[in-house]
Amino acid sequence: MLNTQNILIDFKNISKTYGNNLVLDELNLSIKENEFLTLLGPSGCGKTTTLRILGGFEKPDQGQVIFDGKDITSLPPNKRNLNTVFQKYALFTHMTIAENIAFGLKISGKSKTYIDDKIKYALKLVNLDGFEDRQADSLSGGQQQRIAIARAIVNEPKVLLLDEPLGALDLKLRQDMSYELIRLKNELGITFIYVTHDQEEALTMSDTIVVMNQGYIQQMGTPEDIYNEPQNAFVADFIGESNILPAIMIEDKLVEILGARFACVDIGFGKNKPVDVVIRPEDIDLVKPEEGTIQGRVTHLIFKGVHYEMEVMANGYEWLVHSTDMVEVGQEVGIHVDPYDIQIMNKPESEDEEAVGINE
Amino acid sequence: MRNTFRKIYLALILILLYAPIATLIVLSFNSSKTRSKWGGFTGKWYISLFQDTSIMNALYTTLIIAFVSALVATIIGTAASIGINTMQARSRTFFMTVTNIPMLNADIVTGISLMLLFIACRFTLGFSTILLAHITFNIPYVILSVMPKLKQTNKSTYEAALDLGASPVYAFMKVVFPDILPGVLSGFLLAFTMSLDDFIITHFTKGPGVDTLSTKIYSEVRKGIKPEMYALSTLLFVSVLLLMLLINMSPKDTKTAKHKVFNKAMIFGRVIPVSMILIIVSGGIFYHVESGQSGSEQVVVYNWGEYIDPDVIDIFEEETGIHVVYEEFETNEIMYPKIQSGAIAYDVVCPSDYMIQRMIENNLLAKIDFDNVPNIANIDPDYLEQSTSFDPTNEYSVPYCFGTVGILYNKTMVSDPVDSWDILWNEKYNDNILMQDSVRDAFAVALKRNGASLNSTDVSELQKAMNDLIKEKPLVQAYVIDQVRDKMIGNEAALGVIYSGEAIYTQQENPDLEYVIPKEGSNVWIDSWVIPKNAENKENAEAFINFLCRGDIALKNFEYITYSTPNKAARELIEDESIRNSSIAFPTAEDLKDCETYRFLGDDVDSYYNELWNKVKAS
Amino acid sequence: MNKNRKLLSGPYLVWSIAFIIIPLAMIFYYGFTDETGAFTFANIAQMGTMENLKALGLALLLSLVSTIVCLILAYPLAMILSNLNVNQTSFVVLIFILPMWMNFLLRTLAWQNLLEKNGVINGILNFLHLPELQIINTPYAIVLGMVYNFLPFMVLPLYNVLIKIDKDIINAARDLGATEKQTFLKVIFPLSLPGVISGITMVFVPALTTFVISDLLGGSKILLIGNVIEQKFKQGSNWNVGSGLSLVMMIFILLSMAVTTKYDKDGNGGAF
Repeated sequence: MLNTQNILIDFKNISKTYGNNLVLDELNLSIKENEFLTLLGPSGCGKTTTLRILGGFEKPDQGQVIFDGKDITSLPPNKRNLNTVFQKYALFTHMTIAENIAFGLKISGKSKTYIDDKIKYALKLVNLDGFEDRQADSLSGGQQQRIAIARAIVNEPKVLLLDEPLGALDLKLRQDMSYELIRLKNELGITFIYVTHDQEEALTMSDTIVVMNQGYIQQMGTPEDIYNEPQNAFVADFIGESNILPAIMIEDKLVEILGARFACVDIGFGKNKPVDVVIRPEDIDLVKPEEGTIQGRVTHLIFKGVHYEMEVMANGYEWLVHSTDMVEVGQEVGIHVDPYDIQIMNKPESEDEEAVGINE
Repeated sequence: MRNTFRKIYLALILILLYAPIATLIVLSFNSSKTRSKWGGFTGKWYISLFQDTSIMNALYTTLIIAFVSALVATIIGTAASIGINTMQARSRTFFMTVTNIPMLNADIVTGISLMLLFIACRFTLGFSTILLAHITFNIPYVILSVMPKLKQTNKSTYEAALDLGASPVYAFMKVVFPDILPGVLSGFLLAFTMSLDDFIITHFTKGPGVDTLSTKIYSEVRKGIKPEMYALSTLLFVSVLLLMLLINMSPKDTKTAKHKVFNKAMIFGRVIPVSMILIIVSGGIFYHVESGQSGSEQVVVYNWGEYIDPDVIDIFEEETGIHVVYEEFETNEIMYPKIQSGAIAYDVVCPSDYMIQRMIENNLLAKIDFDNVPNIANIDPDYLEQSTSFDPTNEYSVPYCFGTVGILYNKTMVSDPVDSWDILWNEKYNDNILMQDSVRDAFAVALKRNGASLNSTDVSELQKAMNDLIKEKPLVQAYVIDQVRDKMIGNEAALGVIYSGEAIYTQQENPDLEYVIPKEGSNVWIDSWVIPKNAENKENAEAFINFLCRGDIALKNFEYITYSTPNKAARELIEDESIRNSSIAFPTAEDLKDCETYRFLGDDVDSYYNELWNKVKAS
Repeated sequence: MNKNRKLLSGPYLVWSIAFIIIPLAMIFYYGFTDETGAFTFANIAQMGTMENLKALGLALLLSLVSTIVCLILAYPLAMILSNLNVNQTSFVVLIFILPMWMNFLLRTLAWQNLLEKNGVINGILNFLHLPELQIINTPYAIVLGMVYNFLPFMVLPLYNVLIKIDKDIINAARDLGATEKQTFLKVIFPLSLPGVISGITMVFVPALTTFVISDLLGGSKILLIGNVIEQKFKQGSNWNVGSGLSLVMMIFILLSMAVTTKYDKDGNGGAF
């Protein structure tokens, strides 16, 4: 927020309802130039609607969209200097690949040589040289996806909007494409706004992640922030695996979890205040019973390749633990957590709000 | 702004689509029998509808044919789709091409080709031929609805079922069939609807005594649709409408109840219509059996439209126990080829004079055994005498009705005196003239106007008559037959060429109308009952003719059809003196002095007339 | 197994040979023989007479005009309908199928009532002090009847292709800078071509061959080729000439079928 001159897009108090369904509630969001920003959330959280409002395919019920200093809220899509890569690619099946890519350029009246150069350049960029005369529907999903991107970027938009572009691809392709997207972003030097429900994609690619739920922004920050310091149970639960436990903040730097007291680094929550704590499974150390803060017994063990996944029954809770060291099922263990690995969160009032939201 | 434009556009199209339907619904409540006059509100047609056996029979024939043909087509079509789906590309293409033929080919060609086939195979045209034809054009609809569903089905589910130990048939019934069921059902419904709405193919493949609603309506067009027909259509339409509304009213919640809604829609959308159809059709079959012929004795009657009091048939059936199969024709020229082809064995037919002569000359008629027709004594000998002009020995025909051809005009619309055919060439009455849509009547007008005989075989006279008719054509509003009646009653035209029998009825409905036999003379005609040579129930036919010659029966018919009767016993029974002595109904010799009956002029001259008439029509 | 399943199409094979292919062969037989059964081209040549040429020409003209009118009316309609909210498909189909349950002849006949000199429409026009509409018994009335009867056959295929076009394809075109008009011309219309073509055939063929509509709304004054053929069979009893004329008419049907198959192929996988 400090260097406002870098802000490219500003959503101001955007609300949108479909029928009785409130999809976005007074959303405020600023997007910086040259950022790879990801809107992350479960389906129905409003992320796609946000993107479509920016693309011009939906009109907000209230609020403004400022793009490059101008109010574009009621501008039709063809007047906006941004392009979209659609979820199911939306290639024009009645045209060849070259015609697809040339579509926007022809409309804006570019010369033929310019267009031909651009097609070549774009196909090279997405590693599909020589595909000019193929028909759109003769390509595989991944190839169609690249064409959709090529078709968008030849128009040199300031912003590229990507609506779950990898959703329809298989795992391997998804991973390859996400590296490809990062490379593209760096080569083009433009803003990417990316919508997904896949936290892994979001964590790998983004500069900034915006976690959304029920039409609200839950948390906005770098992937590291979001992962390590989730601000509420929803974010913690949605991003990665975690143990979310009810607890009581006894005093600064001391929290009582399931009856046992743990040292932590958080301050300013007050005394004897109910809170939630998040402990990532990889941050739990299994030690000898007498060395642990809490004692329990291993109930499940699965080999996951990089690590073992274990469940430990302790003080009435199944703790999820990731560790490279294996502990046999049935063995007594102690649980130890370093103070800085305990993330304390206020019990959200928003949880009540959410509940109300659901009832509506 | 844009939305309002869209709404207006949508509304206009809907008006276009539904205006005729609204019109028909309004007509079904019109107490006047003619469609061109509003006679006040009534619901009586809805009651008389159910007493009209011919309409109810047509309805049930329609429904049964629609149901059976849709069912058979669904079975054959679904089986075929499954077979085709497993085929190689080449044989599949062949099958799909064949399937497309009835879909894309013109109905008229399909109808004609099937008619040619049935006649070549000596099938008697009738219920079964209609059914075969309907199945034929219904199968493609089923295949085209089932094929896409079959393509969508996941092959692996079928294989999974086999893997789990199901037999192929079981796997098919339990796994594949439920997947394609929506396609099968919509194919069935589509086929049912198409069969219901078909006219053209039925028109060419139907035989005597069988009518679907479409063919019934088409034969009624010429003489004016019975109001009961409007009532029936309204009932059909409204019940389908209600059914469809019911389907669409099912709650349209999104997400949460999606699964439930789907099931509900399934129930409303498929199950209910299908079961409704089942109920209607089984009711139809039941009704059909109930009302069907009790004995095997029957007589096949082929008569002009609206040319008998329906009660008369009922009385006849009751008194004799002979079942009457009744069919109607519109013109002699339509009737003749049917008799000539022998495809249909009619027992008793009612052609006009010249046509009887032609049938006698072409050896198509059987001599009537007058021992079986004692009531011939009731016929005025004058008319038997007159009949000798076409039936020289009085052996082949028994006069039924007679009359003249003249001009019916509207006194408020015609200022000139009407006493000559010339008035039909008067440009003042441009677009206000109705001509008869039949060769001989049209040429009679032109020939008589030029002082020639209406039986002329003189090429120059005929050429002149043709040229005159071509000259007249731009002034003519329409060539019609019995519709002259409705149009004149509704003040649609000022002048119309009409049979005297219609004049009495139209005057009752519209007192401004007047009938005149032009001074140049005209046609006096006699329609008589004859028995074709290939009749299968000759004695029943004679009993039928004898019955019609009874005084009280002839009177009933006279009152119903208002055409003059040659039956003197009947005339004496007429109570209304003005009618008994009406010069329109019973013209004197003086009235008829320049009038001639038509004679058959030989096949060659006949086709020459036809050729000239086609030129007039095509000009 | 597959062999067994192929056998399922056996009944249909027999049926289609008996009731589709043989009957068509019969038309060919009658069309190329005279009354004695001798081979002749005379029946085909009958089409060359002035009257028949005129009837054919008029039928071609009127069916062409009504096809165009149907297309012009139906396209915006199908667009509007396809933009209606989601699960209304059954409703849309219903609107256009529903009139079919009122008999086709009666519906056409009702237009007489509407169009007549003293008919309903002129009654309304008179009431509004507008000039009267005098089209009954003219070719205009026949075109109206054709448009009225065959409009659903144009709307439904168009609606079916339009509803299948992914809204995001239209959005994509807009996103790439196309105005609404450009989007329509370059994306929507080309994508809807298969529907347009099948709509055209489904209207053109029945309009070309109708004899009922011209009969009911043309006052029997206007002969189309369908009327001529119908008369040959039902009145003139000259089946040979009738078959010959049918064969000539079928050339036009085949032509439009050929166009359909060609464009359908293109529409599914082909060039712009």
